[in-house]
Amino acid sequence: MSGAGHRGGGVTDFSTYLGPEDTLAGRPAEGGIVGRSGLASGTGKVDGPPKVTGAAVYTADLRLPRMAHAKLLRSPHAHARILAIDAAEALAMPGVLAVLTGADLPGRHGPIPVARDETALAVDKVRYRGEPVACVAAVDEATAREALARVRVDYEPLPAVFTLDEALDPGSPAIHEHLARKAARTGRSPNVLRRVHQSFGDPDAGFAEADLVMEESYFYPGSTHVPLEPHAALAAPEPGGRLRVWTSTQNPHSVHRTIAAVLGLDPAAVRLTKPEVGGGYGGKCDTFVTELCASALALRLGRPVRLALEREEVFYAHRGRHPTRMRVKMGLKADGRITALELEALANGGAYASYGVVTAYYLGVFGTLPYRLDHYRFTATRVYTNLPPCGPKRGHGAIQPRFAIELHLDRMAHALGLDPAEVRLRNAVEPNTVTVNGLRVTSVGLRECVERVVEASGYRDKRGRLGPGRGVGLAASAYMSGALHPTYANEGPHSMVQVKVDRSGRVTILSGTADIGQGSNHMLATVVAERLGIEPADCTVVEADTDLTPVDLGSYSSRVTFMAGNAALQAAERVRKRLVSAVSAELGCDPADLVLRGRRVFVRDEPDRGVDWRRAIALAEAEAGALGAMGSYRPPRIGNRFRRQSVGPSPAYSFTAQVAEVSVDLETGEVRVEHVWCAHDLGRVLHPEIAAGQIEGCVYMGVGEALLEEQAYRDGLLRAPSLLEYRVPTVHETPAIHPILVESHDPEGPFGAKEVGEGPQLGTVPAIAAAIHDATGAWLTAPPYTPDKVLAALRRRGVR
Amino acid sequence: MLPLPRFAWQAPDTLHGLLDAAARPGARILAGGTDLLPSMKHRLHRPSLLVSARRLPELAAIYEDGDDLCIGAFATLRAVRRHPVVRAELPALADACATVATPTIQAMGTLGGNLCLDTRCAFYNQPEGWRQALGGCLKADGDVCHVARKGAGCYAAHSADTVPVLWLLGARARIAGRRGTREVPVSELYDGADGRRWLRLEPGEVLTHVLVPRRGAPVVHHKVRLRASIDYAALLVAVRREGSGARAVISAVGPAPVEVRAARAEELPDLAHARVKPLGTHVVSTAWRRHMVRVAVRRALDACPVP
Repeated sequence: MSGAGHRGGGVTDFSTYLGPEDTLAGRPAEGGIVGRSGLASGTGKVDGPPKVTGAAVYTADLRLPRMAHAKLLRSPHAHARILAIDAAEALAMPGVLAVLTGADLPGRHGPIPVARDETALAVDKVRYRGEPVACVAAVDEATAREALARVRVDYEPLPAVFTLDEALDPGSPAIHEHLARKAARTGRSPNVLRRVHQSFGDPDAGFAEADLVMEESYFYPGSTHVPLEPHAALAAPEPGGRLRVWTSTQNPHSVHRTIAAVLGLDPAAVRLTKPEVGGGYGGKCDTFVTELCASALALRLGRPVRLALEREEVFYAHRGRHPTRMRVKMGLKADGRITALELEALANGGAYASYGVVTAYYLGVFGTLPYRLDHYRFTATRVYTNLPPCGPKRGHGAIQPRFAIELHLDRMAHALGLDPAEVRLRNAVEPNTVTVNGLRVTSVGLRECVERVVEASGYRDKRGRLGPGRGVGLAASAYMSGALHPTYANEGPHSMVQVKVDRSGRVTILSGTADIGQGSNHMLATVVAERLGIEPADCTVVEADTDLTPVDLGSYSSRVTFMAGNAALQAAERVRKRLVSAVSAELGCDPADLVLRGRRVFVRDEPDRGVDWRRAIALAEAEAGALGAMGSYRPPRIGNRFRRQSVGPSPAYSFTAQVAEVSVDLETGEVRVEHVWCAHDLGRVLHPEIAAGQIEGCVYMGVGEALLEEQAYRDGLLRAPSLLEYRVPTVHETPAIHPILVESHDPEGPFGAKEVGEGPQLGTVPAIAAAIHDATGAWLTAPPYTPDKVLAALRRRGVR
Repeated sequence: MLPLPRFAWQAPDTLHGLLDAAARPGARILAGGTDLLPSMKHRLHRPSLLVSARRLPELAAIYEDGDDLCIGAFATLRAVRRHPVVRAELPALADACATVATPTIQAMGTLGGNLCLDTRCAFYNQPEGWRQALGGCLKADGDVCHVARKGAGCYAAHSADTVPVLWLLGARARIAGRRGTREVPVSELYDGADGRRWLRLEPGEVLTHVLVPRRGAPVVHHKVRLRASIDYAALLVAVRREGSGARAVISAVGPAPVEVRAARAEELPDLAHARVKPLGTHVVSTAWRRHMVRVAVRRALDACPVP
């Protein structure tokens, strides 16, 4: 595959994949989505066929004439000063075109403006084993790789910091010098990126009111995303001094800005396109060395440069789950009502900030959902260590405390002899309320989630009754539908969508969103088609190309359906108004009586009186010219009761309850997750198969974190830098997953929809942990539940 | 992409030609390549010549030969697993083949390749840059064993899934060299003293056939691993009852499998546990693997019919 045909990228023509079976039969009335039939039920996932047939084009598939290849030299030291880099021998090799080092790209960057501490390549110092130090471009990949060995780097090793306790020690060596100066003044550790302490209500009074107060420690391990597609970027100089970049990213807008800033270019001189992306899960939210070095080399060499990571390198790029040590203190009344909660979280963030400031807030802020709390306080600390940087992974910052809090709640319910499901129902947050820490909650489907998952799983009949080695466990959770505040200060909309209508009847939707496999293109087509009374197959989505598409902030914080969906809905509504105006003038009827459905515009009570879709377009063009519209979405300005609360608020929250059923081999410690029932309140179902697929993906990822996965190190060296040793579940370890879609009709979501891509993962691990307790009597407070750890816990309890 | 290092490739069409090629300095036999090629990508091996047997179909044939089933060393694991005689008379061998990696790898990997599988270690089977950061190990590019720093040699673990079963079945390996052909019991093919020199083949010798006796008491295969697919063994066990006694062959614990005999079958799990001490060659905990020796032997024994 080669040539210009691949350079478009990011265009999805829905007619290609949707067959004639996609009829209008069973469709609900205009403007309304009824029950669980969903909007585009039965249309299949549009990116399925090209992906399974190999037709989909990913960044690493792209080939351009005179394309050069780049490879990265990585640090063998966890912490060392770079004394000298000598690339002369590499540059002398035939076929080697250029060698970049940190000095060539010194601009500091990072996704969060207050913590821009990263450079494309290490400058002066390396801070983790595997950090990129130099980048070699050559005529082919093999030559570039061979040349790496000829780049001489002199290091002066420095004492390294790996653990939480080492990082918190005021005497620990500073990983970032600017923090050393501050630490010298304060006498604190120089390796604390951010410490957040917030207190709401009167927690001490809350604990005094409780019938039972329990305090325990938990640990949630680090893990990484394992997208099928490794990071890759291709950059090419374009006429007029412009730069074109194709990259596998979740955040085209942020990467676009960062490339321009680091390279000192006008953003208008950079065109960024996102081809198909083979999964992100948070691991492609940052700007990476791939994008920055390919861009810099393309401009220096005047030819296209491709830089694609190897699988091992994806483990160094990381930005995965923060290993987090937690202490939970909770007070309960005898009836199960929570009187107060206190949480302390210490997160090991690795060598750079990434989104770590946000992580610190997320670790604490979401403690107040999904249960009503009057008294809450937390301290969350995110430290630097000499390890690959952690960042956002599905359920960013919320996974760890939710694990600890849910398991803790289960322990306390057990201690009080209460039904854990009943305890969840008793404490469930009510709709249209504000949490004690200022989160505005609108729609809440938690009660229905708990009831349906308990019913479907037979939880009440099974708990405590399945016999030794078998058990069930339950957990509940909530998650945001997009962050209320952007990652950088700006007053603009978070999402903008353009809808243009061709005279042929074809509708093109242009959006800066990034479909990374989660189905956002299908969502946009569904929303627009529903509003215009046509089919998703009538739409082409052009996404994530900064020269073509209006800005969207990206695929993170589960924001796309809510925000881009609303922007698309607004654009479609503006087009609909034009159509209705023109058609009502033609028919001489009241615009309010017109209905758009089945590719027709007609009078509601006289279906034969109307015009077809193309005629409606012609009338609208004749009446007022070109037919198209822009739509945008900016979250409501929800008054912050607490000034510091810029991280956490969301326009809407999803709710989840799930039940896991496990079997545990009491002699070997081997855990098998047999079933997971997961009920998720996503507001409104826009596409049942895609929604169920997101739930399955979340549960699958949770099972991996529960049983197998840990990004672990030995002296800063990854223990498992390959997919053979970093074990993700295979089909054999994956339970039967039973998704249950719950609709709470959010007043502000597009057609009432909320997120479904992350929230369903939050409860999977605690539900499994509770089920292991039910099966064995042991509370296991530190996943992954590998057989050695489970067996050791069983032995401590005297089971065999 | 991890590129392969440069190498030459030959596919002789006579056994003589195969042996000639195999005897050249830097030559290695390509018998499926499902372990060799990834290891070459990690620069663990840098053969200058890979010798393929693809033009010698008789070396991939499986046929009945008197009391033996004769399996060409280049027969794929899938072909062995699916062979009617294996399924009917040697089900433990079929079980063992089915536990190798994944079905796609079984379609590529061969029985001979499995018998000659390189020993494995958490400090050895790793990418090149990772090993450089570690400073290498005894088996590759270094002079320290990270499993046992004060040990006598390399402890990389024999991890061939089919070997314990073939050992207990009394299988023999037919080995060809330019000076002739010899046969040795599979049990004598390995040397447990050092994980760098675990395979008793002379330079230039090629394993051509595996002869498996068709009669005899049944064997039971048991592979302990964290994932039910694409996972090397944390522990490998095969057992066979013999009269009132029993034998076990236990692997993935050192450079060669270990045989344990018990005059009374019920003593076998404890004897095995006392005898076999896994080392830290795996990411999986050593204490748990040690515990599993007793459990796995007992479970295999429970599954093994009394003759």
